[in-house]
Amino acid sequence: MFIVDYVKDVYGAMKSLLVGMNRTGYYFTHHKEIITEEYPDNRETLILPERFRGEVVMAHDENNEHACTGCSACELACPNGTIKIINKFDISPEGKKKKAIDTFVYHLELCTMCGLCVEACPTAAINMANTFEHSVFNRGQLTKRLNKPDSKLKAGVE
Amino acid sequence: MSPATIIFYIISAFILGTGVLAVTTRKIFRASIWLLFSLIGIAALYFWMQLEFLAAVQIIVYVGGIVVLIIFSIFLTIKSGEEMPKPILIRSIFSALAVLFGTGFVVRLISLYTFKPISTTAFNLSVNQIGTQMLDTKDFGYLLPFELISILLLAAMIGCIVIALKSNDKEATTFQNSIQ
Amino acid sequence: MFSLETLTKLVQDWLNKTFPPTWALLIEFVIVGILAIALFAALGLVLVIMERKVAAWIQIRLGPNRVGPLGLLQSTADTIKLIMKEGLTPDGADKFLFNLAPFIVMIVSMLILAPIGFAKGFHIWDINIGVLYVSAISSVSVIGILIAGWASNNKYSLLGAMRSGAQMVSYELSVGLSVLSIIVLTGSLNINDIVLSQQNGWWLFKAHIPAIISFVIFIIAITAETNRAPFDLSEAESELTAGFHTEYSGMKFALFFLSEYINIFIVCAIGATLFLGGWMPFHIGNWESFNHIMDYIPSFFWFFGKTFFMIFLIMWFRWTFPRLRVDQLLNLEWKYLLPISMVNLIVMTLVAIKGWHF
Repeated sequence: MFIVDYVKDVYGAMKSLLVGMNRTGYYFTHHKEIITEEYPDNRETLILPERFRGEVVMAHDENNEHACTGCSACELACPNGTIKIINKFDISPEGKKKKAIDTFVYHLELCTMCGLCVEACPTAAINMANTFEHSVFNRGQLTKRLNKPDSKLKAGVE
Repeated sequence: MSPATIIFYIISAFILGTGVLAVTTRKIFRASIWLLFSLIGIAALYFWMQLEFLAAVQIIVYVGGIVVLIIFSIFLTIKSGEEMPKPILIRSIFSALAVLFGTGFVVRLISLYTFKPISTTAFNLSVNQIGTQMLDTKDFGYLLPFELISILLLAAMIGCIVIALKSNDKEATTFQNSIQ
Repeated sequence: MFSLETLTKLVQDWLNKTFPPTWALLIEFVIVGILAIALFAALGLVLVIMERKVAAWIQIRLGPNRVGPLGLLQSTADTIKLIMKEGLTPDGADKFLFNLAPFIVMIVSMLILAPIGFAKGFHIWDINIGVLYVSAISSVSVIGILIAGWASNNKYSLLGAMRSGAQMVSYELSVGLSVLSIIVLTGSLNINDIVLSQQNGWWLFKAHIPAIISFVIFIIAITAETNRAPFDLSEAESELTAGFHTEYSGMKFALFFLSEYINIFIVCAIGATLFLGGWMPFHIGNWESFNHIMDYIPSFFWFFGKTFFMIFLIMWFRWTFPRLRVDQLLNLEWKYLLPISMVNLIVMTLVAIKGWHF
């Protein structure tokens, strides 16, 4: 019947509105469950998730050695030309020429933090760091050199 | 001159000035806004006479109802923002003459009629009195006109509903065909 | 006991002694005007920060917390920013009407303030048609919005204004009918009389279910009349950028923004007066001792407490419900609220005639 449907309609509408208001009212009264991070104030205690992708870095051990062989797999994998690898040829003690990395150029201003370079790296030389405060005053400062000066290839990495 | 008289002249000048602007402006939307101000001025005059109920009804009916309706219909016309063409000379002359004769007629009538103050005490009408008077069947009661107007409005409302009702598909198609 | 009534009397007596009556009246006008503007400014600041805080807490956020202690000076800073900004007038706009519209909206909000009783014996104008006056004047504010929309010469503005007009004109009916159902009980349109009739309990509790139904209808309809979410179709951000005030900037925009909040305050004050007893303390029937304890809280606090409770309810709606479509909006009014409030009015008349209320 029409009138029964009408009353049912109104009743159902009021009930669903009250359910919604109950939910928001719960949040309003339970102020402790705040999910906001008060960012600049909590710099010391800020914990970022492990898989957060901030920027590409190259790990160096205590002997200033890294695992990058200069294969440029990352350069090929990068979708927007962020990475540029400049190679040199080392002369080994046996007198053999050996390809090695000279400069690992990383353009942070072009990077979209997709992480494809890290996946492409055969020797796990680069990885994504957690840092995210990248603001600088000059765009030139965003072009970075990832391998430290005078760093060498780790022994045993081919 | 007492302050009350000064206020009366200010309000009257406001009503007349906005009224003249309403008929002389060449933008149709502005005309409706000047009309709105003129009607608000009349409500202010009622407030000045301490007829608050009448003033409130004036605002509800004319300002909130009729002018809003007028503005809506102006919105739905195409050339609402453009200036109207200047009226031809002969038409303006005749309308000016009509205004002059009308003014002269009214002034003559007023000068013939002598106004006598009915009572010096201000009448304090409460809403209760108005309500009982409106539904009174005895002398000076307004029940019959009240009911007549109700029936008129009811007829208008039913007419609106009938026009707005969805017609059957069959009728609609035949109607459309007849248009084409 | 301290009350605002004695204060106003003192001021009036002093003015009448020192000045001729006309001048005393004019000085009173000036004082009332300054007080009203001060109240507007204070309310604007408080309500904006309250809205932002309520929104934040409902969404499990913190809200503004940088400017001042707990971010409470945020709205002040925003106001200063808006004052410093340039008020642009678009080239294609009707310049006179464009600049007139915000003032119309603001003046209308100021006029509605007149009959509201803020505390015992403390109101600007004790007019005998109080509620009717409020509903009459508030019907003018739609014209300010229509002018703003048309004069901006912008499609979004015009659409927003049209929607707003249709919405306000139709929801005025249910506001009027639900107000009438309380007027039927009190038998007077005077706001002071309405408050005094609730001396032994508020109408919301005294008049059983019909009063609760009309309260619900009232609060839904005023949310729509003040153009607030979930009925904010006239300024729906996702569809019309900002609706009728798209082209406004600087102080002219601030006037629209302020008048929106003032209108909320006023309609909530009317609702609190009609259903929750205005400045009348919480009384239960004939419990003399309980009523006496309640009387110790000044009437001023009761009025503002109730009004802010109503404002909080409306804010709660805003941050809970999604926006309605235009057809849903008009369906809600014409198919549900209007018939229900009409039937409710008849039931209420029956209750009033038979004396079934307390």
